[in-house]
Amino acid sequence: MISNIAKKVFAVLLFAVACLPANAQQAASVTISVKNHRFQPAEIQAPAKVPIELRVKNLDLTPMEFESVRLRVEKVVPGNSEGIIRLRPLEPGRYNFFDDFHQETTGVLVVR
Amino acid sequence: MLHIRDARAAVFATPLFIAVAFVAHAQDNNSAVYRDVETKYIFGFTEGSGIGLEGEKEFSWESVARFGKADGRYWASETKLEYEFTPNQYVQFEFGPLVSTHNIKNVTDLDNRNQVAFGGFFGEIRYLLLDRGPSSPLAITLSAEPEWRRSDETSGQHVTNFELELKVNADLELIQNRLYLGANLLYEPEATHDPDHIGAGWEKESTGGVSGAISYRITPPVFVGAEVWYLRHYDGIWFNTYTGDAVYVGPTIYVQLNPKVFMTAAWNTQVVGHDVDVPGSTLNLAEFSRQRGKLKLAVEF
Repeated sequence: MISNIAKKVFAVLLFAVACLPANAQQAASVTISVKNHRFQPAEIQAPAKVPIELRVKNLDLTPMEFESVRLRVEKVVPGNSEGIIRLRPLEPGRYNFFDDFHQETTGVLVVR
Repeated sequence: MLHIRDARAAVFATPLFIAVAFVAHAQDNNSAVYRDVETKYIFGFTEGSGIGLEGEKEFSWESVARFGKADGRYWASETKLEYEFTPNQYVQFEFGPLVSTHNIKNVTDLDNRNQVAFGGFFGEIRYLLLDRGPSSPLAITLSAEPEWRRSDETSGQHVTNFELELKVNADLELIQNRLYLGANLLYEPEATHDPDHIGAGWEKESTGGVSGAISYRITPPVFVGAEVWYLRHYDGIWFNTYTGDAVYVGPTIYVQLNPKVFMTAAWNTQVVGHDVDVPGSTLNLAEFSRQRGKLKLAVEF
């Protein structure tokens, strides 16, 4: 009984891992800065249906947290440093993001 | 047939939820910014498709309480002390211990009991099957939750129990960031070793179910809604022998208390049910409780 359940759980885990994307495509690179708690530029663009490497440069002294529910990522970037966020291939459209530590700091990724 | 007493409980619970919503509304100093929301917890017992954000970790306290049997006094709860993390944009993991409580007095077929006990462990994996996108309002997630219990969910008796809760969680965004429909499909086989301590071996059972829910965002941090669940219980792990069913309805609420803390609550009342061992029954109080409630408080970090 226990081994049957263990086999089923293992099968589900295996299925989930097998479904992960291979990420073999060349990633598009996009950079955005944060200064005085404002994204610069506030709107960035990226191509559709390819992985995206988003470089976030925090030029402020205080940390920021890049967050987006539609992009399904969050990442803390300490002050005066940068972070890299890898995004899955996206459908065309607008994807909002913001700084969770300073919620008035907002921006949008336009995927075409 | 809708039971007046049970319907009264739902009628009582709904204004309570609305009152909490208004309190949250009064505390909302933000302008009307309806940001994107994680839908996993906005539907009560029904789970949305959300799997969290890559890099997000969360600790939560989630209690599900069950009230009322055919007679006597019945109150039981199970609390998950849950750690949740999302390692990438497709999969989420959760695990943690279970704490169970039982307060049972003069209920037919159950021993009197008043206890708090370590109940077991659970784990969960969630996989995002269909992503919501700018041109697609539908999202679907598959989840599998194995559980080991050392305390029977219904009676509180010391047992060895294994359960696997398999779910399809779907939600549909009807109005962007404001109005959502949710639905779950449930298959839950379980096995308990010799529950009556008579040398009977493994006792197997299964539960199947389907739910529908609606959730509306009345202010940026507050969702209120309602859900309905239809559950069927069987002996045997493959829906072998039908033993009864139940329909629950009730209100739901979700409140984002601050950017890193949220609470969600739901109250379900059994309004219709059938027990094959009780001819003419209009509720099923053998496999299901008269009422059930859920309360979750989560901190993200």
